[in-house]
Amino acid sequence: MNLVRLSRAAPAMFRIGLAELVAYRAEMAIWILTATMPLIMLALWNTVVSETPVAGYGPTEITRYFAATLVVRQLTSAWVIWHLNWMIRTGSLSARLLRPINPLVYEGVTMLAAMPLRLIVLAPMMAALVLWRPELLAWPGLEALALFTVSVLFAWLMTFLVQTLFGMVAFWTDQSEGMFGVWLTVWMLLSGYIAPLAMFPEPLQGALAWSPFRGMIAVPVELLGGFLAPRDALFDIGVQVMWVVVLSTITVATWRRGIRRYGAFGA
Amino acid sequence: MIRTEALTKIYNVPLKEPGLWNSVRSLYDRKYRDVHAVDGIELTVEPGERVGFLGPNGAGKTTTLKMLTGLLYPTSGSCKVAGYTPSERHPDFLRSVTLVMGQKQQLLWDLPPTETFALNRALFDVPLAEFQEIRDELVELLELEEFMDQPARNLSLGQRMRCELAASLLHRPKVLFLDEPTIGLDVQVQRTVRRFVKTYQRRHGATVMLTSHDMSDVGALAERIVLIDQGVIRFDGSLEAFQQTFGGGRRVVTRRSDRLEDLGFMAEEPDRWVATVGADEVNGLLGEVLRRHPDADVTVEDPPLEEVLASAFAQEIDPQRSNKNVPRSAPEDQ
Repeated sequence: MNLVRLSRAAPAMFRIGLAELVAYRAEMAIWILTATMPLIMLALWNTVVSETPVAGYGPTEITRYFAATLVVRQLTSAWVIWHLNWMIRTGSLSARLLRPINPLVYEGVTMLAAMPLRLIVLAPMMAALVLWRPELLAWPGLEALALFTVSVLFAWLMTFLVQTLFGMVAFWTDQSEGMFGVWLTVWMLLSGYIAPLAMFPEPLQGALAWSPFRGMIAVPVELLGGFLAPRDALFDIGVQVMWVVVLSTITVATWRRGIRRYGAFGA
Repeated sequence: MIRTEALTKIYNVPLKEPGLWNSVRSLYDRKYRDVHAVDGIELTVEPGERVGFLGPNGAGKTTTLKMLTGLLYPTSGSCKVAGYTPSERHPDFLRSVTLVMGQKQQLLWDLPPTETFALNRALFDVPLAEFQEIRDELVELLELEEFMDQPARNLSLGQRMRCELAASLLHRPKVLFLDEPTIGLDVQVQRTVRRFVKTYQRRHGATVMLTSHDMSDVGALAERIVLIDQGVIRFDGSLEAFQQTFGGGRRVVTRRSDRLEDLGFMAEEPDRWVATVGADEVNGLLGEVLRRHPDADVTVEDPPLEEVLASAFAQEIDPQRSNKNVPRSAPEDQ
């Protein structure tokens, strides 16, 4: 499907993607649960840093950090791994392959359709946080906000592509979800999701600057929370772009091989 | 419209031997077996033809349909459908064909069928005016009006299948691949679906390739039969030729039983006596029956398709012929 046709089809895909999510209430409940993880981390770290700040993070900074994490997590989460894995194993991918749009593009667009709902889930939590710590309302500056918007888009793309890659493992083995579980653990530790990367030893921080993990959470979080100067962010966004290119290339190559292997069993 | 050359699909199936030790060993020393699901078939279908693609379970029917719709890559050989190579899955190819499978779910489960239709309109890029016309036609022919606004999960199997069929045809495809389209449906819905496919085909000149174990589907929808077994085409010809080849002749039926036993009549039901003879013997037999009973009520019938198919499946493939395809319209002598 070319871009003109895609842009004509996108409004309907958005509308129907959203309608599906509203109809599927169980998934909504799971989001609300997963969305609270940064709040739990905030409660834990708040206790730790209230006595002595760690790596420059006192109670105010840690609240700003995890409030930003809450926002970034909502804006970047995807569930294409589970969809893809399920579709390949049950054969329901066949129905998607018969449509004149790449199933991965379709997944991407319908996942973006979830954004308005995610923001609705986010709003009351953010309101509660602001009531608790009014200083959260500080304006990060136009430059930082613009860079945040760009970096959060790349962070979403990286998350989507990594999940797609793990989902496609199902073309070869049924261990795809297990392998993704291992990745998720490493990602939680190294992306800045459960602790600011500034708390990590210097050499590890240096290595993580080049890793995909930092670009998936820490870069947009630090920009939104005011921990990263816009000038320094350019390097991080450059690394994000590099990973988007690398991951897209591997995704396209894997998709071409996977689809040749696809047995279309069951449907 | 459809053309295959030596189309072959070989599945590489891992062998799993029983027992714990064999399970452990399969981790590092897995053995595979080649299964020839489709073995070099040659098939040409002209635009507007209605083909019944028959064969026992595991014969290679569905694998062939999946290759012809681009879901599976052939191991070797080639195929062209509507001028495209299906495995390339060109968007214009996907706009020209459809595959309806009994168990396939393309309806959005939690939303009414209208939403699936709207989504398909967007994805297949059907202009709004044309879409409304096609949708109205499908709603009328398949009698969907009363449940178009109910979520798909609340529909009965028959209602859902009719909606699946409509959703598959919204882009008005030129080639219809129907894989067991009436499986699990009640008799009335089966009739609606058959009547619909026939009307659609006639109205739009579509090419139809159908697999079914239900001979009523085949009798109603197919004019040509292709029989596949163990991945090899065993018969390709008209429905009549199929009945003649595997039906064991035509059936002369009468209610009278006295003084006919010596002509080979046997009771199927108490007042229904049947003799099966070759096509060239029908006139002779009719003459003899009427000579003995000038007022007898005698009819000539083709054998029921179920029986013809059962007899076709029961006959073993001649091993010498199993590796080549039978030329079109030249049924094997049995």
